[in-house]
Amino acid sequence: MSEETTNVEEKTEQSTEPKEWQPSILAILCNWCSYAGADLAGSARMQYPETVRIVRVPCSGRADPMFVLKGFQKGFDGVMVLGCHPGDCHYAKGNYYARRRVALTADLLKLLGIPPERFHFEWVSASEGNRFSALIKEFTAQVKAQGPFEGVARKS
Amino acid sequence: MADKLISKDNIQDFLKALETKYTVVAPVKRGDAPAEFRELEAGDAPILDGSKAMMTPKDYLLPRYEVLVKIDTAGGSTSVETPLPEDKPRVMLGAWLPDAQAIQVLDRVFLDKKFVDPYYSRRRENLTVVAVIPAEMRWSWFCGSVDDVEQWKANVDAVMYDLGDKFYFEAISEKGAALAEGFDDAAESDTIAKNVLWERFKSTGVLPFAGKALYENLAWDDPIWEEIARKCIACGMCSFMCPSCSCFDIQDETRGTCVERYRCRDTCQFEDFTLMGHGHNPRTTQVPRSRQRLMHKFMYQHQQFGVVGCTGCGRCVELCPVNVDIREVLTKMCSEKVEQPAEN
Amino acid sequence: MSDIQNKIQEEAKKALESGEVGLVIGWGEGSVPFKTTPVFIEKPEDADKLVWNPACVNNLAVYLPKMARDRKVGVVAKPCDIRSIVTLIREKQLKRENVFIIGLGCGGVIDAAKLQGLSASTEIPDVAPAELLRDQCKVCDSRNPSVSDVALGEATPKSDELKIEIAGLSEDRQAYWAEQFSRCIRCYACRQVCPGCYCDTCFCDRIEPKWTAKKATADEAWMFHATRAMHLAGRCIGCGECERICPVGIPAVELARELNAIAKERYGFDPASPDEEKPLLGSYTDADYDPAHHSE
Repeated sequence: MSEETTNVEEKTEQSTEPKEWQPSILAILCNWCSYAGADLAGSARMQYPETVRIVRVPCSGRADPMFVLKGFQKGFDGVMVLGCHPGDCHYAKGNYYARRRVALTADLLKLLGIPPERFHFEWVSASEGNRFSALIKEFTAQVKAQGPFEGVARKS
Repeated sequence: MADKLISKDNIQDFLKALETKYTVVAPVKRGDAPAEFRELEAGDAPILDGSKAMMTPKDYLLPRYEVLVKIDTAGGSTSVETPLPEDKPRVMLGAWLPDAQAIQVLDRVFLDKKFVDPYYSRRRENLTVVAVIPAEMRWSWFCGSVDDVEQWKANVDAVMYDLGDKFYFEAISEKGAALAEGFDDAAESDTIAKNVLWERFKSTGVLPFAGKALYENLAWDDPIWEEIARKCIACGMCSFMCPSCSCFDIQDETRGTCVERYRCRDTCQFEDFTLMGHGHNPRTTQVPRSRQRLMHKFMYQHQQFGVVGCTGCGRCVELCPVNVDIREVLTKMCSEKVEQPAEN
Repeated sequence: MSDIQNKIQEEAKKALESGEVGLVIGWGEGSVPFKTTPVFIEKPEDADKLVWNPACVNNLAVYLPKMARDRKVGVVAKPCDIRSIVTLIREKQLKRENVFIIGLGCGGVIDAAKLQGLSASTEIPDVAPAELLRDQCKVCDSRNPSVSDVALGEATPKSDELKIEIAGLSEDRQAYWAEQFSRCIRCYACRQVCPGCYCDTCFCDRIEPKWTAKKATADEAWMFHATRAMHLAGRCIGCGECERICPVGIPAVELARELNAIAKERYGFDPASPDEEKPLLGSYTDADYDPAHHSE
């Protein structure tokens, strides 16, 4: 990955200095659609929470379930995977593979007892800048309502 | 030093008395996990009679995950922390005699005069070891074949024998004798019962070949390594559960401004055990790995340290998923080389 | 049982004598009470070492990718072992023509852990008694070989009475699995015994990137087991070997089974079926369930 996320704890330290806790969210975005959509939101100065940490992958088909699992293991409060709409994949079919893979990842998280509100998967195209920013705001609020993630090793 | 009797009804008094002077370490079952040696906490029901399967004392002396150094550069200054275990008197109860003897093997590795491991020695130096001989011998034990077990007694501080409703406490050292002060002396009939138990222990699982024959007859090019390697799935269970296997890995992990250097288990059965930094791996197939484990345990350790690496606890025999039976392997190898069974 | 055992020995002997195979993998008498051991028969006269009884627990398919890579190998296989073989063939780890399957109808095998405390003789019964049945056998629905070159043993009908709910998980799944995984000592026995785990380099052995640290802490163990369950999606056939050999009693198979049950229901994908041509995650349809329209 060319863009490593910086350590969650480090960033959280800085952002909890203001009074309210903000969730840390890992967002895996495909380069051609959702990342471009995020870019569009940014260049159009659309506001969205800064605690979302974006990891760019060439295609949602590259979104390895391990990215999601590792995100939770490392302490992110929420994880999302965004890709191109079916039929619009830059690589023709990457997002179709992602559909199955991400669906089963979501199921695995449920089986492991991680609240489904902490994971989100959606199609966002390059032109949907405002939809992107609205989505981040909404998901951040949703994860915030869940509270800080107590970690995968929480026993009770 | 008189031998003592501790009635099982009085065990709590025995433990309470010990806890005033020592940290007591004994096998404890918590939840669904197998019993493990832990420092006793309120509410623990330690297994003192050796009657159940348990993890080995090595899991206490050499924890599976142990932080060696922590370095933090937060705020521009560098702090270095070496979390050594507390230096305090400890007493270990409930260890099978083969497990207690295996501590000798660990001592050779970690208390080597040139390189004393401070993390290990902190737990080991001030440790009084009480072995236990249970009422029923474990079917997989073959201690009497690997070594002269009479010599093992000298390496522990006391031995407790389960005589049914009471423990026979045989003090070996002064430290051991101090533990059972105030308890009744053992009667002659008890001593007889104890001796009967001891003889049973010595004769449990005795193999056709024993002692010297075992560690002199392992050969580098024996076809048996192929046989084992074919069956073996390299799961590492034998090494993880063995009381004397101590191979470890050291890993560094960075979290933000902090680096943690820790020690964790490793096994010669893992493919990457001998993987070197430049990419070469001298043991890419299972044959050299299977050969390494057994020759190390029986031959090399004896040559290097004068102590036999295997103490016959039988865990590998019980737990191997594919039934690689070390007793069979040794018997087979020796019968190829030795014309008749060697004398103990 | 002993009748089937004789037939197994005959078939193995025939296959070796005719030169059809150079090796037959099966079970032989173990050296430990209630255990059998994998045996590798190369000479026809050794075929009488093969046994068949409720202690034949090992999934022998785990040996096939390496041993049947370049030559034809015979294997004595229970229906669950055959399900593994089917998966290996689908994933191109094994060629169908490289394996001679002596398939067996099976009523279930013994869980040796359930013997503890029972004062049984060391004689292995002909049929596994219900109270000693391995949990996975209780929910097995393929009691007969789906694929074989020789099928032995009467088709044992699926008995609904034997279908028992695996010990229920508590409401708090996260706490349940955290508790289970906290015992993990990272011996990787579960991975080694699994026919589905055939990767040359497992993700846990990678240093760049380091997906999971080697230390035996609860969160790293969680990462290992969760990833392994994910890697077995559409591939785990529920033999339960991982659960059998775990030294600390982690029911790893449960997670993979549940995930695969979801996959079966949603995509109709059954890894045990020889008719499935492509792996679950190596294929897709335009009409696939779309998680984007169903997520919270």
